[in-house]
Amino acid sequence: MINSVSSCVGVQSLRGESVQSADNGSATTLNAPVPAALELDCTLADDNDQNTEEGIASSTELTNGRYRTMRARASPIAALGQMSACIVHEINQPVTALLTNTEAALRFLDRPNPDLEESQHALIRVLQLGNRIAEIVRRTHALLQRVSPQKDDFEINQAIREIISLSQEDQIKNDVSVHTRLAQGLPLVRADQIQVQQVILNLITNAVEAMSGLYEGTRELCITTGQTSNGDVLVTVQDSGPGMDPQSSDHLFDAFYSTKPRGLGIGLSICRAIIEAHGGRLWASLSEPHGAIFQFTLPQICSDRMPRALQRRSKITEEECAASESAELRSPRRCHVLQRTSSASDQCTQCVRDRASSSSV
Amino acid sequence: MTPVSQLINGLEAKDAMEIVTHDEGKPTVLIVDDDPDIRESLQCLLRTVSLDSRVFVSPSKFTKSDLPSGPTCMVLDVRLPGRSGLDFQRELTAANVNVPIIFITGHADVPMAVQAMKAGAIEFLIKPFRDQDLLDAIQLGLVNDRARCEREGELTRLRERFGKLTSREREVLAHVVNGRLNKQIANDIGISEMTVKIHRGQVVRKMKASSVSQLTRMADRLRDANIFGSPKATDLF
Repeated sequence: MINSVSSCVGVQSLRGESVQSADNGSATTLNAPVPAALELDCTLADDNDQNTEEGIASSTELTNGRYRTMRARASPIAALGQMSACIVHEINQPVTALLTNTEAALRFLDRPNPDLEESQHALIRVLQLGNRIAEIVRRTHALLQRVSPQKDDFEINQAIREIISLSQEDQIKNDVSVHTRLAQGLPLVRADQIQVQQVILNLITNAVEAMSGLYEGTRELCITTGQTSNGDVLVTVQDSGPGMDPQSSDHLFDAFYSTKPRGLGIGLSICRAIIEAHGGRLWASLSEPHGAIFQFTLPQICSDRMPRALQRRSKITEEECAASESAELRSPRRCHVLQRTSSASDQCTQCVRDRASSSSV
Repeated sequence: MTPVSQLINGLEAKDAMEIVTHDEGKPTVLIVDDDPDIRESLQCLLRTVSLDSRVFVSPSKFTKSDLPSGPTCMVLDVRLPGRSGLDFQRELTAANVNVPIIFITGHADVPMAVQAMKAGAIEFLIKPFRDQDLLDAIQLGLVNDRARCEREGELTRLRERFGKLTSREREVLAHVVNGRLNKQIANDIGISEMTVKIHRGQVVRKMKASSVSQLTRMADRLRDANIFGSPKATDLF
């Protein structure tokens, strides 16, 4: 991992470019820029500090305070690179199995008396593997396609509550009891809310799955929020399942953890990439007497930045609100979040109209 | 299996025929990979050439189980949870478990490949690999392992026979393989030439040697294995 602000800059500017060049509304995928971003990272890393700082100043509007904070984080470019290596590996495995099965089927058919049973079984596996690959590609594409030009400021507790209710059916079906201890007065988090919620959902789903089926222990899931000593928001997802092998706890993040093609699973490697891209950390540990603990941090919005944030948000126009996301993704509730940080007169005019016209707020 | 399949397998077994030996047991391929799809596909491929296989989800599962009798070779992924395949290769070598290893990996990493080959791997294949490349490597591994089995079997037999020699017979053996004539041996040891001949006859009979040169080769093998510490000719004088 390269600790380098320049690479963060690389992500910002490239993401900005890719969105600008898109058709109206729809976001483009990050797939194409990733190799370029990696090159950019290498170039900037070779520059001396002088050039790096200039690069930052011109490409973004980071304050000195933010610069200092970001410097301590791992590079999102490296995280993306690692993620892309994981994705390649995860596709390569089923591709290899698919090809081997196909070759075996051909061999069985190539005999003087072909073994139809064996070749049929092999081809059924080929079909399953092909579908699995398509699913991985689809999921990855759906995830990487989400590129928002601006991050959201949101409350982590609310985001967690939403996800818990979203996965309630799963919890009930598996007889898992969920407890939350959400700290009051946590600072807002600036991040891509959808991505962070996907991470939370993935952690919850993993926990539920660990305690499902024939598992005979207690089935408890506990989600807590708090702050670390340096002010980052800390989210903890703890289950009472069997836990994991301590030798392999770091390898959990090396690949898509869920090998079954569930529509919602995105894999721990991607979770880590998302969190690290936002300047946080995601890690796993074991709990006593048994169970797994997954924790991640997200940096709080620097308090000395707040006035600047308010200034930037004070003139939200209708166009900006519409441009920031496609119509389906925009919800009145999100602007309500902004309302808390800006004064009443600074509300988005479109959202005022939305609220007026919709009955549910 | 239907009778027809059995017939087919009999026909296809000619591919495996040179690997199967009648006294050393059937060959088995050991597959160590944490991916169930890969394991299943490899077992299927091996069935096309009538090779038995056993699968292990991890190196630790393998070390906990017994090695099958007969020639074996291992198909091992470099990338395994907990322990890297290369580390496992080192451990096996250190523990004197000389199973031929064929690595399969998704990474095209030259240093890794070089390290694996230097540590004695049969082959290092990048996924996805050609089925023939893997089968060829497995063939080579099994042939090597059969040769090793035979050598070890032979050594065990020699050791058993040697164990039946008396200390005097061993002494006579040492002199015989050093090219000493019976008369000279009698002189060196201080017994009659007739007694030497008797001992020599016993040695040849017990060791099941058909000639002096064969006896010499046997003695060399035993010496290399530190079973027989016979002094060389130069040491005698």
